[in-house]
Amino acid sequence: MSTHETSDKFVYHEPGLQHQFEDMGQQEESVSIGMWAFLAQEIMFFGGLFTAYLVFRSKYPMAFAAGSNHLNAFWGGLNTLVLIVSSLTMALTVYYAQKGNRNMQVILIMLTMFFGSVFLGVKAIEYTDKYNHGIVPVTGLNKVVKADTKSEHAEVKEKPCYEVSHGEEEEEYVNPRGEFQWKDCSLVKLAQDHNYLTSAEKIGYFSNGEIDADKFRDKVRIFFFLYFVMTGLHALHMIVGLGLMTWLLWTAWKKYYSADYYMPVEMSGLYWHFVDIVWIFLFPLLYLLGRHFMH
Amino acid sequence: MQTQDAITPGYAMRPKLNYLNNGTTLKSWLLTKDHKRIAIMYLITVSLFFMMGGLYAATIRLELLTPASDLLETGTYNKVFTQHGILMIFFFLIPSIPAVLGNFLIPIMIGAKDLALPRINLLSLYIYWLAGGMALWALMQGGVDTGWTFYTPYSTTFSNSYVMAVGLAIFINGFSSILTGLNFIVTIHTMRAPGMTWFRLPLFVWAHYAVSLVMVLGTPVIAITTLLLAIERISHVGIFDPSIGGDPILFQHLFWFYSHPAVYIMILPGMGVISELISSFSRKKIFGYEFVAFSSIAIAVFGFLVWGHHLFVSGQSMYAGMVFSFLTMVVAVPSAIKMFNWAATLYKGSISFDTPMLYGIGFMGLFLIGGLTGLFLGAIGLTVHLTDTYFVVAHFHYVMVGGQVIAYLGGIHYWWPKMTGKMYSEFWGKISAMLVFVGFNLTFFPQFLLGYQGMPRRYAAYPEEFQVLNIFSTAGASVLGIGLVMPVIYLGHSLIFGKDAGDNPWLLPGLEWRTTSPPPTENFAVMPVVTWEAYEYGEESGLDVEAAKRRLAVEAAT
Repeated sequence: MSTHETSDKFVYHEPGLQHQFEDMGQQEESVSIGMWAFLAQEIMFFGGLFTAYLVFRSKYPMAFAAGSNHLNAFWGGLNTLVLIVSSLTMALTVYYAQKGNRNMQVILIMLTMFFGSVFLGVKAIEYTDKYNHGIVPVTGLNKVVKADTKSEHAEVKEKPCYEVSHGEEEEEYVNPRGEFQWKDCSLVKLAQDHNYLTSAEKIGYFSNGEIDADKFRDKVRIFFFLYFVMTGLHALHMIVGLGLMTWLLWTAWKKYYSADYYMPVEMSGLYWHFVDIVWIFLFPLLYLLGRHFMH
Repeated sequence: MQTQDAITPGYAMRPKLNYLNNGTTLKSWLLTKDHKRIAIMYLITVSLFFMMGGLYAATIRLELLTPASDLLETGTYNKVFTQHGILMIFFFLIPSIPAVLGNFLIPIMIGAKDLALPRINLLSLYIYWLAGGMALWALMQGGVDTGWTFYTPYSTTFSNSYVMAVGLAIFINGFSSILTGLNFIVTIHTMRAPGMTWFRLPLFVWAHYAVSLVMVLGTPVIAITTLLLAIERISHVGIFDPSIGGDPILFQHLFWFYSHPAVYIMILPGMGVISELISSFSRKKIFGYEFVAFSSIAIAVFGFLVWGHHLFVSGQSMYAGMVFSFLTMVVAVPSAIKMFNWAATLYKGSISFDTPMLYGIGFMGLFLIGGLTGLFLGAIGLTVHLTDTYFVVAHFHYVMVGGQVIAYLGGIHYWWPKMTGKMYSEFWGKISAMLVFVGFNLTFFPQFLLGYQGMPRRYAAYPEEFQVLNIFSTAGASVLGIGLVMPVIYLGHSLIFGKDAGDNPWLLPGLEWRTTSPPPTENFAVMPVVTWEAYEYGEESGLDVEAAKRRLAVEAAT
């Protein structure tokens, strides 16, 4: 019980204790509940996106399978591994913070930051690949290549979209306005032959009973839209996490944390693990579901 | 515990500084971590938005005075009602009671020095200012005409107004309300004074706990929805646009998943205020404390399960419609529990009709009508006839204005002496409360009739048969307007010329009445220990009310 008359000054009773709390236990409990409530909020935030994914995947499974197959499961898998290891180093950081071991803290935070950066690097490679192949769903954000006069004959040998497949040598990339490009609809043909189309797909991919490459393209575009929004928001959270790590690194270096006061490390750890868990859900939904249609 | 004097329980150790004069520079306000100063800054901003929204409402009512669309073009009219809705809902109703009264009172009511996360509290104010500034900028540039609901594909594909800017303003504003809610949850969990158990909390605090749950869990969904809307508007991808495979109903689901719980954000804090008012001014312990407390939680929980009743005619499956209709009836039960408990609290109470109580009683009548007509609209058959008519408009104004705004005004009057240390003119207070009540009913009751007769909402022109009722409505709106302007004048007047209110003008037992008026920055000279139950008016509360009453009687006689 203390009497403060002027409160806009901090009164430090213990290191890190804020003026509004009576003791450290109260502060730790508050910070912890606050962080969990924040994470609940984050779940609802991503929940909206997962709902949108759910709705469109159940409507257009073939379009989603086609998009999913274009993603490189190797890069996705590597990133999953990298993130899981970074979670380990983060958990160890908290452990050593509790032990009051400053040197191990600093090393492990740097390792966590390294793995986080590797993840973002791989993401950058993947995004660049999408840019080069013209499958960023926003017009104008793809690589722009004007049609070459010499290769005009390329348009002459145009085949039905379901005969274009991954195995063949790639067609020349022509995209004068940076539009979303998608030519391959072999999966629709496959599903049609096996009578495997949903009722939404029977309307959504066809015009006058024929497979309509443009209509299919629009559905694949929805997949890539969700892919970019979901992984983009996740990457944004990673960047925020890296910012937190930088701050942690600085404060750990300055020996701010001890066995008595390590809440910021633990809370940053919670955040980091949450961002990992989001990826654990994103990876199978975006990279793996629907691969069996082709592989 | 020794019995304290009820009139000046905080007087013995009155600090020289209170929160208002502890630092007078602009910086001491803008960088404060004091929840009370933040609440005052919210109060000013929220009032400005309320005035702006009110001006739009006045424009709408003027336009509807005559059947033809003569004052405004139809396009302008679309913008006016949209902006009325956006300003009132996102920038006034949602922050009104939580961010002003909740912010000011929750730490005092639970006996804490401040909210648990004061810097987050200041951050949420700045986010609110940023979002409000953005919305105002968009309105100056030309505004938005989609209706506050932003239905797709009109908002994504066809509207030529500033949908992006306003959408992003709402996106940003959401984080202000998330942070406020989060702060309240943490504060109520961890900052209660010794002896202040969960079931000794004032019901105002319970209501805010429930509303905070909705804010934290609901608001992120509208955030992601407006984000998707904005991206779709730039990129034309087709998440919501049916012509390229998107699903406009998905937008409605996501939108109402937040926006229906949001109407509980707009009414639950009001219910919390009313619980305080009814008990305080009948000087009787609230009837069925636990029921009122848990009905708040029940409203918050069921509130998340009824969004589909906005989609009855949107092409949602009939079976989903039936389930949502049933759940809508269910959510009326906890609201009814509250009404019954308030009525039972009044029974055999010693009721005094001070200004706040007039608002309290007014709330009960208006919310009763608003709530019951909500059942009409939840009934899946009747609603087909009533959808998108003035019946809906009247219903939600009875709940939002008749409920939340009335409760907000009641709360402001009730705690004004605590917030400022000054007493307003009781005479003008009563006049204004009655003008608001009469004006409100005159404005919105005719709209039930109009809606039932089939007048659709959101049109600038209407058939001549509807004119008489519309004239009533517009006349009522002017009475309501006068009633709402009056408090600004007499409350402002009281700041300078008002009598000193004393620490406990109504001789009440709550913790907020046991500190000085205005409270010191640390809220209490000595941090309190609670030994009494909530709403004890006798000697159990540790306050010597009888002696205080005798003293007041003597003072009044001499």
